[in-house]
Amino acid sequence: MIIYLRAGGQLREKLKPDVDHYTRKVEIDGEKTIAEILKDISVDSAFVALIHVDGKLKDLSFKPSDGQTITLQPPVSGG
Amino acid sequence: MSLSKSEIERYQRQLLVDGWDQERLKSARVLIVGVGGLGGISATYLAAAGVGHLRICDSDSVEQSNLNRQILFTAEDIGKPKAALVARRLSAQNPEIEIEAISNKLTEANVSGLASGCDLIIDGLDNHSDRLKLNKASFDLNIPFVYGAINEWLGQLSLFNPPQSACLACLMPEELPSLKPTPVFGALPGVIGSLQATLALRYLLTGENPVSNALLIFRADSMTFETVTFERRPGCGVCGESCR
Repeated sequence: MIIYLRAGGQLREKLKPDVDHYTRKVEIDGEKTIAEILKDISVDSAFVALIHVDGKLKDLSFKPSDGQTITLQPPVSGG
Repeated sequence: MSLSKSEIERYQRQLLVDGWDQERLKSARVLIVGVGGLGGISATYLAAAGVGHLRICDSDSVEQSNLNRQILFTAEDIGKPKAALVARRLSAQNPEIEIEAISNKLTEANVSGLASGCDLIIDGLDNHSDRLKLNKASFDLNIPFVYGAINEWLGQLSLFNPPQSACLACLMPEELPSLKPTPVFGALPGVIGSLQATLALRYLLTGENPVSNALLIFRADSMTFETVTFERRPGCGVCGESCR
């Protein structure tokens, strides 16, 4: 199945977007957690501060379904 | 707490706002920790609105690299302590209010004393570790906490008032890896600091939390706002079941 990972900030460069400036299309075999998907594409989950899908907070154990867009929020800590 | 003739004249335009209660603002006490990009903006608007007592805490002195975003300061202020400068500027802007300047660094040992007696805490900090200290004091002392943070093109904010809502540690319990220096341009803390001030005034006036269990995210690159909802975590180390 196909899912879409979206990221801004410094995480965007690590994600290597290929759909648009922020989004990477990822093909996965069967059900996988976000943690497993990030490992497969060599993105260190330590740089992911928040994960959200359709306006709801998720965590690294979330298993996306076909066609879903998952937003990965980088650490936002400045002031 | 009644208003003087001078106060009625000063605040006449906001007194026209539906639901506005100037006397309630006049009796409010607010702690603002950090008066750089975010806190300098929220402090300015709370002072202008007539919040009766502002306690401003910042241990830093002005640096040249602050001047792209910390608009209360000028080149002549470089090397001077921020808390005292902000107190002086805002007192000149609104002499009707009391402003207390504290040039101490926030620590686990002093955070409760800093927040004690306040009705609201506003986050103007530049790191997650200190925000978690403020969040803990907010829960321990039952004082609502207006959170805000920025990085590059992203800004986010919320208001935490457990047990009515989740707390910051329910959302992000761990230290965050941070880039030093943080990439930031001046208008972004202007937007987020203004939203924090708006949220604070709304809360002080009505007791309402329009972003309970929600994080408001502003993406300045696409000019979009997004709301992410979340729940209170029963296992939260600050406001979870074992802490009550």
